[in-house]
Amino acid sequence: MIGWLLAAPALAVLALAFVWPMAGLFRISLNRTTETGAMETALTTESYAKLLGDDFIRELVWNTLLLAGSSAAIAVALALPVALMVRAASPRWRGPLALMAIAPLLVSGTARLIGWMAILGDNGLINAVLMGLGLRDTPYPLINNWTGVRIGLVESLMPYAVLVLIAGLGRLDPRLEEAAATLGAGRVRTFLRVTLPLAAPALLAAWLLALVLGISAFITPRLMGGGRVFVLATEIYDLALEYVDWPAASALAMLLLGGLVLLMLLRGALARLGGRRA
Amino acid sequence: MSEAAPHLRLERLSRHYAGAPAPAVDAISLDLPRGALLALLGPSGCGKTTTLRMIAGLERPDGGRILVGGQDVTALPPHRRQMGVVFQSYALFPHMTAAGNTAFGLEMRGLGRAERARRARAALEMVGLGALAGRRPRALSGGQQQRVALARALAIEPELLLLDEPLSALDAKLREGVRDEIRALQQRLGTTTVFVTHDQTEALAMADLVAVMNAGRVEQLAAPEEVFERPATRFVATFVGRAARLQGVLEPGGVLRCGGLALRSATDLAPGPAEAYLRPHRVRLLAPAEAPPPGFDNLLDATLARRVYTGEVIALETETAAGPVMAELHAGADEAWRGLAPGAPLRLAFRPADLAVFPAP
Repeated sequence: MIGWLLAAPALAVLALAFVWPMAGLFRISLNRTTETGAMETALTTESYAKLLGDDFIRELVWNTLLLAGSSAAIAVALALPVALMVRAASPRWRGPLALMAIAPLLVSGTARLIGWMAILGDNGLINAVLMGLGLRDTPYPLINNWTGVRIGLVESLMPYAVLVLIAGLGRLDPRLEEAAATLGAGRVRTFLRVTLPLAAPALLAAWLLALVLGISAFITPRLMGGGRVFVLATEIYDLALEYVDWPAASALAMLLLGGLVLLMLLRGALARLGGRRA
Repeated sequence: MSEAAPHLRLERLSRHYAGAPAPAVDAISLDLPRGALLALLGPSGCGKTTTLRMIAGLERPDGGRILVGGQDVTALPPHRRQMGVVFQSYALFPHMTAAGNTAFGLEMRGLGRAERARRARAALEMVGLGALAGRRPRALSGGQQQRVALARALAIEPELLLLDEPLSALDAKLREGVRDEIRALQQRLGTTTVFVTHDQTEALAMADLVAVMNAGRVEQLAAPEEVFERPATRFVATFVGRAARLQGVLEPGGVLRCGGLALRSATDLAPGPAEAYLRPHRVRLLAPAEAPPPGFDNLLDATLARRVYTGEVIALETETAAGPVMAELHAGADEAWRGLAPGAPLRLAFRPADLAVFPAP
């Protein structure tokens, strides 16, 4: 009872700032867009039907999943050595190392992306070095394309993957690796036969979180894609502000939200499964 | 190799953790013959587990050498040392079955699938778990997990078996049975074994040799009876078993002047301030007119202060002119003795050799 009371302010904010607007958004998604582009109050699923039947939207879903899935996988693969290093560090260094790994979160995402532009752009650091050394005559396109978006996304997802992996690996008893060593397993075989299988649930949890964050990412595709990379999040923005088709934008937002909720439920189910097995 | 050559030899083995005021292990040297079981006994923080981990290669010594069968293994990583280790928490691989755990070390040695399965099964049968080979550790009881850990360590036919408090996680009732099983198995296989424990009963019951450790040093290395009956240091006298402490001044001829009494001892210590330890089971209670048996040259008049019934023995705490002295009665003693109440006068006798005398600290 006291728990509910203490949670009441947060719940009120959540209701006011999330549930209420979401309900409004859902209501708009049921409105109709007339031939002239004006919004007409109605109760119809026309916008949903239109979106689900649209080949371009289907391509966007595929592109978004591919981008977020691959970026999440790369981010988790890069985060694993970092998390293993934090775990292996002495207790005194564990805190500072973990803080360093998640330090990018302390900097605004937009500022970090502008930094990436300075590095990856046609006149940026990398191309300047490549051309200065005579390795290339023309700049290598690292920005305003899928590569640029993927680089930006991997970098922004990594701190989250590191956090999830540190928490997950923390429950892994180092005695197990010592036992493997005394039984004759060298470092590589200990990693492949003991550490990696036992870290699998944590890796999956980290990937799913990064996937969800990657799917809903907006600023990175917008800035690093230079208007040439289209994903669901940018499409919602375009529908709302370029085409001023609010019902369609709302419907797409609702569909995306539904998909993300499904993924989070899957993550919870997998976590429970992992908890029972470990 | 001759019978006398040690199978395990530690030479001035040391470990000093950065930032710690004193070394965890301070220049330990000891020899262990092939097939023997050594118990490292001591309070927590005495360095016994660090010593075991250095032997296993899991901890790097700061100084000294470890020799196994005459070979210096100090620089070898753990996976090349042939040590079977049973961890306190067992450290079974949760994603493998009992058979998979037991076969792991054999797989690492490159044995074929059939040979691995055969030897893993044999090892599990040896610890009485052949029927549970297909179970994951989670589906096994604590005692069964302990046996799998033992089978896994023995399956590789190790040079040394290293046990880190292997009984501490078991129920008190199970502990004694498992203790005797481990000892019987170890003797049958003839595996040289090092066993870490803080439980003196475990150490005394299982070991061929007991190393009593304190503050990173070995205080005494001897057979269990020797450690218990003839403690080499004040620490051993107090840590292993119970003993009354009598403080006084040692005079020439081994006479301890103590509370106005002259107690005879067998020590050859130089005269000076001293203290003596007297174990309760060495103290003989005399009936009012009873003459002390031959050799019981020390006689004390005492008053019973407290009587503690512990089941098998009745512990008696008495006051004497020399200080508090402990005695004990077997629970099967005569009614007249068992009925003693606090305040009752007693006559105590003990032999000079029963006093373990050390210079005063």
